[in-house]
Amino acid sequence: MNWLRAIALTFLFLLLVPIVVLLFYGLGPLRTPIGYGPEVFRSIALSLVSSGLAAVVDVVAFTPLAYYLARNRNRVTESLVDIPVSIPHPIIGVALLVISSPITPVGRFMISVGINLFNSILGLVIALVVVSAPIYVKSMQPYFESRDPSPEQFAMGLGASPLRTFTAVVLPDSSRSVISGALIAMSRSLSEFGSIAILAYYVLQSPFFGVSPAAVLIYQYYSYFGLGAAVTTSVTLIAISVPLAVAVRFVRRE
Amino acid sequence: MIEAAVQKRLGQFSLDVTINEAGFTCLAGKNGSGKTTFLRILAGLTKPDAGHVKVNERDITGLPIEKRGVVLVTPDSSIPSLEVEEHLLWGAKLKRVVVSNERLAAVKEELGIDFHGQVGKLSLGMRERVVLATALLSAPAGLLVDEAFSNLHEREEFISSYRMLTTDAGIDVVFSTQDDSDGRLAEHLYSIENGKATKRF
Repeated sequence: MNWLRAIALTFLFLLLVPIVVLLFYGLGPLRTPIGYGPEVFRSIALSLVSSGLAAVVDVVAFTPLAYYLARNRNRVTESLVDIPVSIPHPIIGVALLVISSPITPVGRFMISVGINLFNSILGLVIALVVVSAPIYVKSMQPYFESRDPSPEQFAMGLGASPLRTFTAVVLPDSSRSVISGALIAMSRSLSEFGSIAILAYYVLQSPFFGVSPAAVLIYQYYSYFGLGAAVTTSVTLIAISVPLAVAVRFVRRE
Repeated sequence: MIEAAVQKRLGQFSLDVTINEAGFTCLAGKNGSGKTTFLRILAGLTKPDAGHVKVNERDITGLPIEKRGVVLVTPDSSIPSLEVEEHLLWGAKLKRVVVSNERLAAVKEELGIDFHGQVGKLSLGMRERVVLATALLSAPAGLLVDEAFSNLHEREEFISSYRMLTTDAGIDVVFSTQDDSDGRLAEHLYSIENGKATKRF
C-alpha cells in the first residue's frame, strides 16, 4: 500500500467533489434552461474577452517585472507584488472606484478626458489586471530563475544592456512559458468575482451593453432565480474554463 | 593589459589573486581552486570584497558587466535562439565593430566553423566554437575563457589558432583549464590552488 499516493489522491478527490456535484446536478436534477441561455453566453463572452485582454496586458507589462525579480532577488519588491493577491478582492474594487471618482485629482483628470472605470470594459479589464498580474508574475518568475544565466551574462559582456539582453536573448525562446503564464492569468481572471462585483457589476458599453461578467451573473441568477439557475450556469462556465486549464498543460509540455 | 588584485571570501574559501598580464594567459587549477570565481570577478559577475580590476589602464572595478569591455565565455554562453551567422556578428553589431566578409570567412575557416543552423541545436563543441568566435569578432579589451576549450576535438590546434587570432586583434585573453599542460599553449601560466595564484612563467 502506497500511503503517500492514497493520501494525495484522497485529497485531490475531495477538492474535485464540488465540481463533480455541480456537473451532476447542473446537467441532471437541477437543470434549468436559463443556465445555458443567450444571456449566459453573452456574459461568458464578456468574461473571455476581458480576461483575454487582461492576460495580454499582463504579458506586455509584467513579463519584464517577472524577469527582473528572477535576476535580482529582492524581498521588498517581491512582497509588494504579493499585496494585491493577499488583500480581499472587494477592496481592490473599492480602491479603483475611489481612484476614478471625482474625489481624487486622478479621478477628476480621468473624467475630464473621458475615462470612466465604473461599469465599463476598461474598468473591468483594469481590475482583472490588478488581480491576475501577481499570479502571472509568480508563474513566470520560477521559469526565468530556472534558465541558465550564462547566455545573458555573455550578451551583457558583449555590451548588451539588461533590457536588450532581455528582449534579444531571453524572450525569443520563452514563448511557451509566456503563453502558459498568460493562460494561467486568464483562468484567474475568469474566476474573479470580488473586485468586479463592485467596479463592473455590469458593463454599459457596446457590444456588451447591460452584460455582467460570468462570475457576477452566477451570483445574480442565484439571488433572482435560485439554486438551479446558478448551478446550470456554473456548469456552462466550467465547460468553458476547464479546457483553458488543460491547454496550460499542453503548452507547458515539451 | 589586464591588471587585477582582488580578494573575495566565500564561506570557508578565500580568494586572493594578483595578475598583471598582457597577451594569452593560462590559469590552471583543479575544481574549487577559485578559477571561475576569479574570472567572474574580472567580468563583473561577482563583486570582490577588496581590490581592483584594470584593463588597458582603465579601472573597471565598479562598472556594470555591459560597460566593462570584458566578456566571459563559458561552455554554456551561446545564445540558443540565433542562427550561426547572426550569432557570430551579434557582439560586433552591438558595439558597431565593422567585420568585413573576408575577416568573417577567415575566422570561420581558422576556427573550423563550417556548419549552419540554429545555435541551440548544435553540439556542445560546435557551440563553443561559435561563442568563442563571437567574442573574438566583437573585439573586446579583455576576453575571459572559463573552460570553454574543453569540448573541442583537435583542442590544441584550436587553442593555438585562437591565440594567433586574438594576438593579431590585440585582445588580451585569460583562459582557465584543469590541465596544467595547457600552459605550453600560452604565453603566461599561472597555477591556482586554494584561492592563491602563483606565476609559473
